[in-house]
Amino acid sequence: MRRTTWWLATLAAVLLGVAAPAAAEVGVTADRILIGTSQSFSGPLVFPGTEEIAGIEAYLEYVNQSGGIHGRKIEWKWYDDGYKPQDAVANMKRLVEQDQVFCILINQGTSPVMAVVPYLEQKKVPLMFPFQGSSRLHGKKYVFTSFTYYDTQTQIVTRWLVEKKGFKRIGIIYQDDAYGKFFLNTLKKELEAKGLKIAAAESVKRGATDVAPQVAKIAQAGLDACLLALVPGPGAQVLKEAAKIGLKKTKLISSGPLTDEKFLILSGGVGEGVWGLSLWPDPVRDDSPAMQEYRKILKKYRPGHEPNRYNLYGYFYTKLFCEGLKRAGKDLTREKLIQALESIQNWENGIIPAVSFGPGDHQAQDQGFMVEVQGGRFVPVSGWLGIRDGKLVESPL
Amino acid sequence: MRTVRKIAMWAGAAAVLWVVKASLGLFVVNLLLVYVIVAVGLNLLMGFTGQISAGHAGFLAVGAYVAALVGTHAPQVGAVGALIAAGAAAALLGVAIGLPALRLAGFYIAMATLAFGVVVTEAILQMDVWTGGADGMYVLAPSLFGFPLDSDTQKFWLVLGTAVLAVWTAQNLAGSKVGRAFLALRESDVATETLGISTAAYRTLAFALSAFYTGVAGGLFAYVVSYISPDAFSIELSIDFVAMVILGGMGSIGGSIVGAALLTVLNQYLAVLQDFKALIFGLAVVVCMILMPGGVSAAWKAALERFRG
Repeated sequence: MRRTTWWLATLAAVLLGVAAPAAAEVGVTADRILIGTSQSFSGPLVFPGTEEIAGIEAYLEYVNQSGGIHGRKIEWKWYDDGYKPQDAVANMKRLVEQDQVFCILINQGTSPVMAVVPYLEQKKVPLMFPFQGSSRLHGKKYVFTSFTYYDTQTQIVTRWLVEKKGFKRIGIIYQDDAYGKFFLNTLKKELEAKGLKIAAAESVKRGATDVAPQVAKIAQAGLDACLLALVPGPGAQVLKEAAKIGLKKTKLISSGPLTDEKFLILSGGVGEGVWGLSLWPDPVRDDSPAMQEYRKILKKYRPGHEPNRYNLYGYFYTKLFCEGLKRAGKDLTREKLIQALESIQNWENGIIPAVSFGPGDHQAQDQGFMVEVQGGRFVPVSGWLGIRDGKLVESPL
Repeated sequence: MRTVRKIAMWAGAAAVLWVVKASLGLFVVNLLLVYVIVAVGLNLLMGFTGQISAGHAGFLAVGAYVAALVGTHAPQVGAVGALIAAGAAAALLGVAIGLPALRLAGFYIAMATLAFGVVVTEAILQMDVWTGGADGMYVLAPSLFGFPLDSDTQKFWLVLGTAVLAVWTAQNLAGSKVGRAFLALRESDVATETLGISTAAYRTLAFALSAFYTGVAGGLFAYVVSYISPDAFSIELSIDFVAMVILGGMGSIGGSIVGAALLTVLNQYLAVLQDFKALIFGLAVVVCMILMPGGVSAAWKAALERFRG
C-alpha cells in the first residue's frame, strides 16, 4: 500500500511537472525574473548613470529580501554603453537575444535611448522609464516614460512667470544647438500665446567659458526674468557673471535638468535667489514618510551613495515598475505588465503627484514646482504646477 | 603550403565570427566588420605613409550622414550608390585635410586631424535642419538591387561583402607601385623624392584613400546601427581606431583585422564590468603594447620564426 502511494505520488509529481507551463514568458521562471539595461558607467553621463543604478539596485535588493514579487526574485544584468548609441544598440540586442531578459529598466540619454526604441518596439520588449525628457517617445506601446517633457516644463515656467508673477519682459540665454533652440522656440510660442514677445535672446556656444557679453546684454535689456537653457558649466558661469556685475533686477531661471545641486556647487555659492523648476522633493531634507523610507533603503543597501535626485529617480521608478509587476499577477507576461501598468490610477506615492497611466498615456509625471535657491539649497516657492486643458493648475505639495 | 595557410586563416576568421555571434549577437559581428574596414583604411595612412590621423571618427560620421541622407532623400540610388557617395564625400574631405597636412609633420598632423573630428561633430549639430542635431536621425533600411535589407542577417552579407572587397583591395594595393610608394614615404621624404615619386601627390592620395574606406564604413555603420547622432562619433572612437591599427601592427593589413576584432570584442565583453570597463580596457591595451610592441602581426611573425627554429 505504502509503495503504491509512493508511485502514485511520484507519477503525479512527474505529470504535474510536465503539465506545468514551461517558461510562460521570456526571462520569467518559477522563482525569478531577469531584467536588464544598458547604462552610462563611463562617458559624460557617468555620474547620473551610476547613481540611477544605485537607486535601482537598492530597491530591488529590498524587494528581494522581502520575498520578491509573487515569489519571484528579480535578477539583473547591466551593461555599459558609455553614452554611445552604437554600444547601446549592441547591449540591448545582447540583453534581448542572448541573455533573454524580460524587460529593460531605465536607460539614459537622448542618443542611447532613441537608438534602441525602434528595436525594442519591434521585439515587443517593454522599455521602462528611460531617463530623458524628449516628447518624441510619446505614444509608443512598449515604452513608459518618466518625468515631465522639456516642452511642458518650459510651458509651466513661462505661464507661472506671466500669470502668477505678472512678469512681462522675459528673455533667454540658450545653448546654440538643437537643445537650446528647443527651449527658445517653446518660450517664443508660449509668450506669443500671451500676446508677449521674447525681450532678449542671447546664444552661448557649447562649452563656452566666457559669457560676459551675453550677460551684459541681458542686463541692458532690463528684463524681469531670464531663462537659462544651458548645461551646468556655462550655466554656472552665467550665475557668476551676473553676481559680478550685480544683476539684481532680473530673476535668473534654470531650465530643464539644470535644476540640480551640482550646478549650484559649480557656481560657487553665487546662485542665491535663482529660480528653477524642480521635479523632485529635496532628496536630502524632505521628511515625508515616503522620502524617509527612500533614504533608509538607500542607506541600508547602497551605503556608499548619498541621497540625490538621480538615485531617487532610480529608486522611485523601480518602485513603480514593481507595482506594475505586482498588479500583473502570478502569470507574468510582457503584455500583462503593459496592461497592469496601464491600469494604474491615482497611485499615491508620497514622492511625486499621484501617478495615472492608461492606454495611450504612458507618462508618469507631468508636473513640477518652482524653487528658489536659499542658503545653497532649493526651497519650494510654489505648489505642484501642471498644464490641464491648456491651463496652468496648481496643487499643494 | 601557402594555400593551406590561407585556408586555415579564413577558417579561423570564420570561426571567430561564429563565436562572437553566438556569445554577443550578429549585431556585434556587423559592427566588428565595419571597424575592420576603418582600421584597414586607417592603416593605409598610418601604417604605410606614417601619418597619424586622430580624427577618423569624423570621416566615419561624414560617411554615415551622407549615406543616411541619400537613403532618405534619394532612396532609388540604393545601398551601393549611397555607399559610393559616402566614400566619395569623405575622400573629398580627406583631400581637403591632406593638402594642408602636407606642410605638417608627425604629431602636428595628429593635432590637425583631431581638430577635424571635433569640427565634424560641431558641423552636424549646426546643420540640424538636415541632421536632426543632437537628437540624431533614424536611418532607413538600405536596399540592395531593389531588395530591402531589414534584418541583421541581411545587413551582415552586405557588410561582409564590402569588408572582404576592402581587405582584398588593400592587400593588392600594398603590393603595387602605390603601396611601395607609401612605404617609401614612411621611411624618408627625401629618399622618396630622389626616386622620382611625388611626395605631395602620394601623401594626398593616402589621405583620400583612407578617408574613402572610412566613409564607406560610415555608410555601413549607419545601416547597421539604424540611428546616428553626433554622440556616436566621439574623440574616443577616433582613438580606438588608432589603437586598433597600432595593436594590430603598423603596415599589416592582417594585423588591422585582428586589431579591430580584438578591440571591438573586448569592448563588448567588458561592458558587463560596468564601472571597471574603461579601466580594464585601457589596462588590457597597455599590457598588449608592452608585450607586443610591434603589434599582433610582429608578435605573430616572431612566433612563427621561433616555431621554425
